Formats: sequence, structure tokens, C-alpha cells
Amino acid sequence: MNLDWLDAFLVSGLFFVVMIIGLALLLHIQLGLARIANFGVVGFWGIGMYSFGVLFVKVDWPFGDPWPFLISAAFGSVVAGLSGLLVGWLIADLDEDGVLVGTLGFATAVWILATTEQDLTGGALGMGGLRFPYDIGTVKANETLWLVLLIIVVALILYYVHRVHRAPYGRLLTAIGDNEPLARSLGKATFRTKIWLFAFASAGMGLLGAMYGVMERFLETANIGIDITLAAIVGLILGGTARVWGAVIGVAISVGVFDILVQSYLPLPRDWYSQAIPVLREAIFGAVLIIVLLFRPLGVLGDMRRDKLMRSMHGD
Amino acid sequence: MDFISNALVIGLTEHAPLVLAAMGFALLYRLTGLINVAYSETVTLGAYFGMWVNTTFDLNFYTVLLPAGVLAGLVSVGTYFVIFRPAKRRNVGTLELIIISFGLSVVLRHGLQFVFGYPVRFYDVPPPHTLFVLGVGVSTFRLLALGSVLVLALLLYWFIQKSRYGLQIRALASDEDLAQVSGIRPLFVTAMIWFIAGVAGGLAGAFYGVGSSVAPLLGWRQFLFILLVVLVGGAKNIGGVIITGIATGVALAAMTLQFGQVLYAQLALIVAFIVILKVRGRRATDLAKV
Amino acid sequence: MTDPVEAPAEVRPRIHIEKVVKSFSGRVVVDVDEMVLGEHPIEGLIGPNGAGKTTLMRMIMHSTALDQGRITLLPSGAEGEQIELSQLPTHHMASHGVVKSNQVIMDFEKLTIWDSLLLALAGAKYEQPLRIFSESDLFQESAETAREFLDFFSFGDPFGHAESAGEKKLLDIVRCLMLKPKFLLLDEPTAGLPDETTDKVMQVVRELAVSGTSIVIVEHDLNVIWSLSDQVHFMAEGSVVMRGDPKTIRENHTVVEKYLGEGHV
Repeated sequence: MNLDWLDAFLVSGLFFVVMIIGLALLLHIQLGLARIANFGVVGFWGIGMYSFGVLFVKVDWPFGDPWPFLISAAFGSVVAGLSGLLVGWLIADLDEDGVLVGTLGFATAVWILATTEQDLTGGALGMGGLRFPYDIGTVKANETLWLVLLIIVVALILYYVHRVHRAPYGRLLTAIGDNEPLARSLGKATFRTKIWLFAFASAGMGLLGAMYGVMERFLETANIGIDITLAAIVGLILGGTARVWGAVIGVAISVGVFDILVQSYLPLPRDWYSQAIPVLREAIFGAVLIIVLLFRPLGVLGDMRRDKLMRSMHGD
Repeated sequence: MDFISNALVIGLTEHAPLVLAAMGFALLYRLTGLINVAYSETVTLGAYFGMWVNTTFDLNFYTVLLPAGVLAGLVSVGTYFVIFRPAKRRNVGTLELIIISFGLSVVLRHGLQFVFGYPVRFYDVPPPHTLFVLGVGVSTFRLLALGSVLVLALLLYWFIQKSRYGLQIRALASDEDLAQVSGIRPLFVTAMIWFIAGVAGGLAGAFYGVGSSVAPLLGWRQFLFILLVVLVGGAKNIGGVIITGIATGVALAAMTLQFGQVLYAQLALIVAFIVILKVRGRRATDLAKV
Repeated sequence: MTDPVEAPAEVRPRIHIEKVVKSFSGRVVVDVDEMVLGEHPIEGLIGPNGAGKTTLMRMIMHSTALDQGRITLLPSGAEGEQIELSQLPTHHMASHGVVKSNQVIMDFEKLTIWDSLLLALAGAKYEQPLRIFSESDLFQESAETAREFLDFFSFGDPFGHAESAGEKKLLDIVRCLMLKPKFLLLDEPTAGLPDETTDKVMQVVRELAVSGTSIVIVEHDLNVIWSLSDQVHFMAEGSVVMRGDPKTIRENHTVVEKYLGEGHV
């Protein structure tokens, strides 16, 4: 296949944007529906990435591709899901302050473990040895195929979120976010619901982490900083926390514009890119959070329209 | 015996800034109900301001503390007027306020990088004298940090419990409408709370900075621990926060000595504190209004 | 509508309250030595503001913790054993049929009226994270019940949100009815409702009582109490000071004058 027309930067840029869309979609179920602010997105993503990477690299696999990848990715996803179960249990009956501490504390704990357990993770030096579970020719071709696979995964997540809005589960999550005591008085096991919500969303985040690890081919602790969480939160809030497409649109016009348009296509001086641009990007993201929440708290798309939704589903 | 005295002295002196920062954060949390993530940048600001005054005007570290604290306090008041007050007027919810303060924290952290440049910076101070306490060598800066924590704690206690403004602050925290009717100027008093909290954070930052180096992540690295100390220590009284802060410092020092790795100590602390919050949280849930 | 037939006490679910105390910041709000609710089909709970009625209701639902004492549910007839409500989490109440409507307006602002009813009707099996296609099953199972109540109470636009305070209050009661209560606590159900709606609520309450549900109503509108209840508990300063049939309570002049004011009678 001739991929000359495709810019290598564009492939990795798109990969990052699509991955953040996936994270923001999963965060949307937590923050937009159930109103739980998960400040530890990077922790679940990172623990999935590292569990995947360690298993993939350290085991002497007896069978060929793609099985080592599939087994390791499933492992990373399950580990992330189990951590979600644990964190969900910790924060299920806590208020906003407790959720902040619990999720932020978890992300910090993951970073600490990735740094200290050098024998497994390579610590601050990082760990190589990751590769694509196939080889179809050039690096660019492999990366492009990986991008396509990621797009399929994120499209499935988008479809899941779309269905959740139209299922009793989504109604329950919305009710919990809206008025948890009232939902409890109606016999809803709200704590258990939140725990499983964290387990499933975290498993998804862990899978995205594993796929990112393959794309980067190198794991380092610098990757699992707060900026991943920030990107997902900014995208979601900008697009609209309450709507299915909020995450997609918001990430596209924040991370997308910055990491693809500004990074690759604006004629800016070379030396800006190493330091000024990344710092400016984060500062602008922070400012976007403040401005959107002050002046348009529900983002570009606005509030959810369950009246329209219900009429289209059950109206005559 | 050596281990205990080591842990005690190192814990008290090296982590004294944590107690100072936690006091300021607790003051804000208790009196305004706000979890201000951007408070971590007040700490960073204090470190940078101190370093800037120190290296620009060639002042010694003790003289630098005053402008560092005051500038951090002023920025803290500034964030109240520019962001948190408008947010409150727009009835922004608790969850959104936390995210807004998170955004502000990100803006300030990276703004500081723009202003002060990307490399790590250092205070230009002569090496501090070393005194021996219980057989453990401690730098005078760290003793000073401990001393100022004690002084500030006493000042805060006196200010809130005894002074005329303290009475107004407490009245404002318990019932804003009533306080307003009884002739308190809420705006002035609130601004004062933000100023004092900012000063405490800024001083903590200066002590952190002179102890090692000044970097944009200085405050953010401490934020989780500040938050844990305040939530576990209880925002009800400054005393609980001080005791928890001191205990945290000593525990961190002891575990660092034991494990030979500060990160393990931090990890153990995070886990322990979250478990404490979890056990306590169970009791809070039956206050639902249904 | 026929008058409710007095069913024998032992076939109705009852709630037994023993030595129950609650204080907020040192002030005793509820201090009930012993009280049995549900011996009559519809019981009224009245008393001046601050008598502890709402707090007592919340303690039964265990949404307010007890300082001391025990609250047990004695299920109807011979079936089942005693259930200690004061040990159960709030969300288990509904599965035992103990349901309460709220005094203050409580609503899901993002959910439509239809949503609210389907939420109350949905069993946990429909609300699993992976059951993303179960809405039509749920709707098939529940739509008829929901429609019946939507039509009976003539909600404006059931696909929209509850707009007025009255509509929200009514929705709160209807949500409770969706849970098929065996023991229904109504905290000021008619406050803020238009007259014709109040009548409809009272009609449904009577029908429920006939079919075996025990009902306790807290009300300030004493006309509702006098016309609906078979037994009245009078609370003041946290304790039950008097109980009896409506006529006895109504004619007790000290109670009426001291706590209720002549205007109510």
C-alpha cells in the first residue's frame, strides 16, 4: 500500500486524539452521568499500559502473533478493571472531596509503583521491547493499521455510550448523579452501581493504555502524568459533559486542534516546539476549564435532552 | 533509640512546611468550604517569589520570607476576586468548583514556567549552619521552618479564636446572611481569609524551595499530602490539622529511613489515609435528606 | 369508592418503634418510648412544627441514624419474620415494601416524568452495565402500570420534566406508588397540591389501604387527617403524647388549643 500521502506526524497525532476521545467517553459516563469526578484517569490508563507491557515483554511466549498481544492486553484491561473495582469501593460512599483524594491518590500510587519497581517496569529509565502484533511492511503502514484498530475500539466505546443513554442503566446513572439519596430511597443500590461503573470504565481505560503502549513501543513514567487526565477532562467539559458526542467534539477542538494543527501545520519557529508550545498547551487547557465552567458549564453541546430522547424512544 | 530520634527530628523539621501549608489549606476549606486545588500553586508561587527576590535583590533568606509570603497572599486574594467569587455568584456547584480550581492550578503552574523559565532554579544562600538536635544534624533553615510553623499556628489560633476579625470570620463561616445583618463586611473578611491562607502557603513554598530547589511541580507534588492531612486531620479545628501534619511528617521520615525509599513511605501514607477516610465516610452517609 | 374495611391488625404489616432517641447538636428531637404503626389501615401523625414527625419518618427509613433504640418491621400475617429496619441500609427498605414520600420537594432534574416512573419500576436486572438493549423489555413490562397512573393523575406532558412544585410533589408520591408499597409513609403529601389532585391522591391511598397496605400520613392539613385516618398519633416535643381515633383527638380541647390552634378545627 502506498502511504506517501500520509504524514507520520498526522498518524501519531490522530492516534493520541482518538485515544483521548476514548478516555473522555468513558469519563463521560462517570462525570457526565453519575457526576463522579475521576481525577485518576491516567492511573487506570497507566496501570493497564504497564500491566500489559510487563506481561508482553517479560514472558517468553510459546505462541505466535497476535496471541501474546491479545492475552497481555486482556490482562492489562482486567488489572485496570480490578483497580477500578477497588477505587470504586473506596469512593462509593464518599463526597466530592473523598473522590478527589481517592482517585488522585490512586493515580499517584500507580506512578510511584511504576517508578520504584524498576525490575519490572524499568522505572524512570523506561522499558522498551513493545511491538505491533503484526508486521505489514513499513513502520508507517504498521502505525496506520494500529490507528485504524484504535478507531474501531473507540467507535465501539462510542456506540456503548450511545446505548447506555438509551438503557435503564443510563437512567439509573443519571438519577444517581442527579439525586443520590432519592435514588437510594427508591431501592437503588447506588454504591454497588458506582463500584461496577468504575470497574467497567477502568477496564476500558486500561485497554486504551495497552494500545497506546504498543504505539509508543516504549513505556516511561513521564507518560503517566496528570496531563492525560487533564486532556480527557478538558475535552469532555469543553464539548459537554452531559451529551454522548460531547467528548468527541470537545477533544477534537481542544487536543485535536493543538496536537495536530498547531504541532504539525502552523509555521512556528522550531525551538518553540520543545518547550513553549507544550507549556502553552497546558496553560490554555487549564484556562478553557475555568472559562467553560464559569460561562457555559454544559459545554458546546449543552444539557442532555431526555425529553427528546424519551419521546423518540417511547412516544407515539 | 537512634531510629526514633532520627525520625522525630527529621520528620519535624523537614516536613514542617507541610504542616504550614496544610494549615492554610484547612483555613480556606473550613471557612469557605472550598477544596482549592490551585492552593498547591500558592506554595509554588511562594518558592518562586522568594527565589526571585533573593537572587534579584541579593537579600538573605530571612528577609525574603516577608515578600514571598505577602506576594503569595496577594495572588491568593487575586484568584478569589477573579475566579472564585464570580463562580460563587453564578452558583457553580461543588464538583465544578473543584474542576475550576484544578484548571486554575494548571494555568498558574504553566504560567510560572513561562515567567521563570524552564530549568530548575535555586536560592542563592550561603550554606546554612547545622545544629545538632538529639544527635541529629539539622540545618538552621529547617529549624526556622519549624519555628515559623509554631509561631504561625499560635498566631492563627489567636487570630481566629480571640481577635475581633476572628469572631467575624467564624460568624461568617457559620451563617453568612446572619453575619451580614450583624454588620460584618463579608467581602473584607473573606479576602482576609484568602490572604492568610496564601501567606501560609507561600511561606511553606519558600521553605520547600530553599531546602532543595524550585520547580513548577513543587507545590503540586505536595498537594495530595496537604489534602490528605487536612481531610484526615479534620477541618473542624486547626489543632487536628497540626497534629496530623506533624504525625505525617514523622511517619514519612520514619518510613523513609525504614524502607530507604521516600516513595514507599508516600505510598504507605496514601493507602493508610485513604483507608481512614473510607472508614469515616461510612458514618457520614446516613445524613441524607430523604 | 367504598369505605376501607377494617382488616384485623395481625394481617397488616406493622412497624414497631422501641426506645428510639435522636438528638441534633445536643437538642433531643425525637424520644419515643414505644409506638406501633400500622395497626389500623390509615394512621395520621400530627403535631406542631418541630415535634419530630419528619425526623421520626426518616429514622424509620434509616436515612437518619438512630442514637438509640430499635425499629422493626413486623410483616403481615404469618409470613416472614421480623425485619430490623434500623440495621438496614436505606436502599433495602423498598424491597421490604417500606416506602416514604418526601416533605420537601425531591426530584431528578435531568429525568423526565416517564423516566422517573420507569426508574422506580425497573428491577436491578435491567440496570446492569452490559444490558444496553434492555430498555424495550423494561418498557414492555412496565408501560401499562406507568400509563395507568399517568392518565389517572393527568400529568401535563409525561415526556417532559415535572415543571411546577405541585407536579414534582405529585411525581414523588407516584414514584412511591410504583414501588408497590406494603408500608407507605406519606410526609405532608397534599402540601402544595391543587384540590382535585389531593382528592385523587386520597382516593388512591384509600384503595391501597383496602388492599392491605398500611399507611401513615403526616399532615398539617387536618381535614385530610380527620377524613382519611382511622387512628391518630399526636406528637409534641419529640414524643407521642396522645393517640386515639380522630374523634377523640379532635375533641380534646387542651391538645387542640395548645398545639393546633382553633382555626384548624
